[in-house]
Amino acid sequence: MLFLHAVEQGLIYGLMALGVYLSFRVLSFPDLSVDGTLPLGAAVAALLVLRGFSPYVALLGAFGAGLVAGAFTGALATRLRIPGLLAGVLTMIMLYSLNLRIMGRPNLSLLGRPSALLRLATTLAVPKGYEVLVTSGIFAGGALLLLLLFLFTELGGAMRAVGQNPDMVRTLGIAPENLVVLGLALANGLVALSGAFVAQYSGFADVGMGIGTIVAGLASVMIGELLLRPRGICTHLVAVMVGSVGYRLAISLALRYGATLGFTASDLRLLTALVVLGALAAPVIRAALRGEEA
Amino acid sequence: MLEVQEVTKTFALGAERVVALADVTLALGEGEVATVIGSNGAGKTTLLNVIAGVCRPDRGRVVLAGWDITRWPVHKRAHLIGRVFQDPLRGTAAGMTVLENLALASRKGRRGLWPLVHRHRRQSLYAAVAQLGMGLEKRLQEKVAHLSGGERQALTVLMATLTRPKLLLLDEHTAALDPANAEKVVRITEELVRENRITTIMVTHRMDQAIAVGERLVMMHKGRVVLDLGAGEKRRLQVEDLVALFRSLGVSDDALLLVRNGSGCKGDGDLGHLLASRQPTSTARP
Repeated sequence: MLFLHAVEQGLIYGLMALGVYLSFRVLSFPDLSVDGTLPLGAAVAALLVLRGFSPYVALLGAFGAGLVAGAFTGALATRLRIPGLLAGVLTMIMLYSLNLRIMGRPNLSLLGRPSALLRLATTLAVPKGYEVLVTSGIFAGGALLLLLLFLFTELGGAMRAVGQNPDMVRTLGIAPENLVVLGLALANGLVALSGAFVAQYSGFADVGMGIGTIVAGLASVMIGELLLRPRGICTHLVAVMVGSVGYRLAISLALRYGATLGFTASDLRLLTALVVLGALAAPVIRAALRGEEA
Repeated sequence: MLEVQEVTKTFALGAERVVALADVTLALGEGEVATVIGSNGAGKTTLLNVIAGVCRPDRGRVVLAGWDITRWPVHKRAHLIGRVFQDPLRGTAAGMTVLENLALASRKGRRGLWPLVHRHRRQSLYAAVAQLGMGLEKRLQEKVAHLSGGERQALTVLMATLTRPKLLLLDEHTAALDPANAEKVVRITEELVRENRITTIMVTHRMDQAIAVGERLVMMHKGRVVLDLGAGEKRRLQVEDLVALFRSLGVSDDALLLVRNGSGCKGDGDLGHLLASRQPTSTARP
């Protein structure tokens, strides 16, 4: 049961991790706005469901809102030349107020309201007990496949090149700035979509639910890279999804058995950050052990 | 094909104003290949930057294939201009495969939702790489990061010429390579340029290269064109003639030694050239 829920959450948050992968790894852009776009997606989706829209429409609405927010960060960074980190932080802070405004209060309950995950399970007649597992797998897998196909198009290929060599992209006749804006829009669209699923899954949207999203996303990306050591784009995307599931499993285990080691739930963010810190520091430490300059 | 008309460009260096280009006029016909030499600070790279759109001239015009491109942004000119830099890392995306890099170059500027590496395109790209004679056609699926500097630069030249641009700008593109690879890349460049009849400007530090390649030779000094030779005059030209010319311009012998050796140590600062000038040279005057 514990593991089932962890896998479900891993798949749902996996969409967010794909978004973080897109901005961090593909575009090489450290985008912190995701801490704001996850609850944005949740807020928009919750509002739409409460207004009587279909939960599928709510997903689309959340995705659209994320697109706009990501494009905004991209515009700050490329048009106004604001450093990437700061552009993301500015968007994140603005979204905090905006999310409160969208919801009208700090949280909205969706208990008893329709959820896209359950509705699809009913449509497909998924065996009882595995509804969310199957449908979250379908949504996550679908998003992964679409992103994969996109990255192998001319546009997606140019986007990958931007993260590695913007000069080259410019000499190839494409303005890298536009690709950064588009890439960040897509990344945050995915994160907001993930937020919408989280709201429908957990039965509420909360303005504080986005804190630490970026760290969780990075942890997922890095755990996936550690586990699968991906070389190509395809295995990399799968690794991100695996990493997300692995991350949620680790958290479940920590919450379950951490108490015996003296940890409490409130230590979770500290531990997560330490995991990311360790992954980031690993190359430097490894080089130091070999006696080289990193 | 290319007309640079009375272009002037000055930079502010602190309180000082440095004239990088002073009233430079240069015209190249279709398919013409010109080499450009000059000591440090002669304005060679600035000239390429003005043509490529990296910096705008204070005065003057740049006309290419009938278009006045003086005010076009870099990415818009890219459809008409290919450019290769000294640093082999600058022209390719390291984490993408050879084939993907080529496909990006072959789709110059177009960015639809079609597959980047299309089945029809694979054939022609394979043939293009095979033409380099470096065996890269067998390594299409390898990441460019795994290629050597020479292989990477050869690939960059191929990518820059793949869409047959009106103009090719080469900014000391063999200076970072060892002599054997430099030789190979120059040969590949000459072949591709001749075959596609691309008007080319090649900036070089090596006088022997400047004389051997192309049918025009332009010497720049302190922002001006001081020598512009056509094919006939160039054929009779010797390295020593150029040295004498540089001398007459007051370029110090120390600076020249480096230029004659073609040691390619010109760093971004002038440290490399100072060090190189202290070393004995094997190409002493007879």
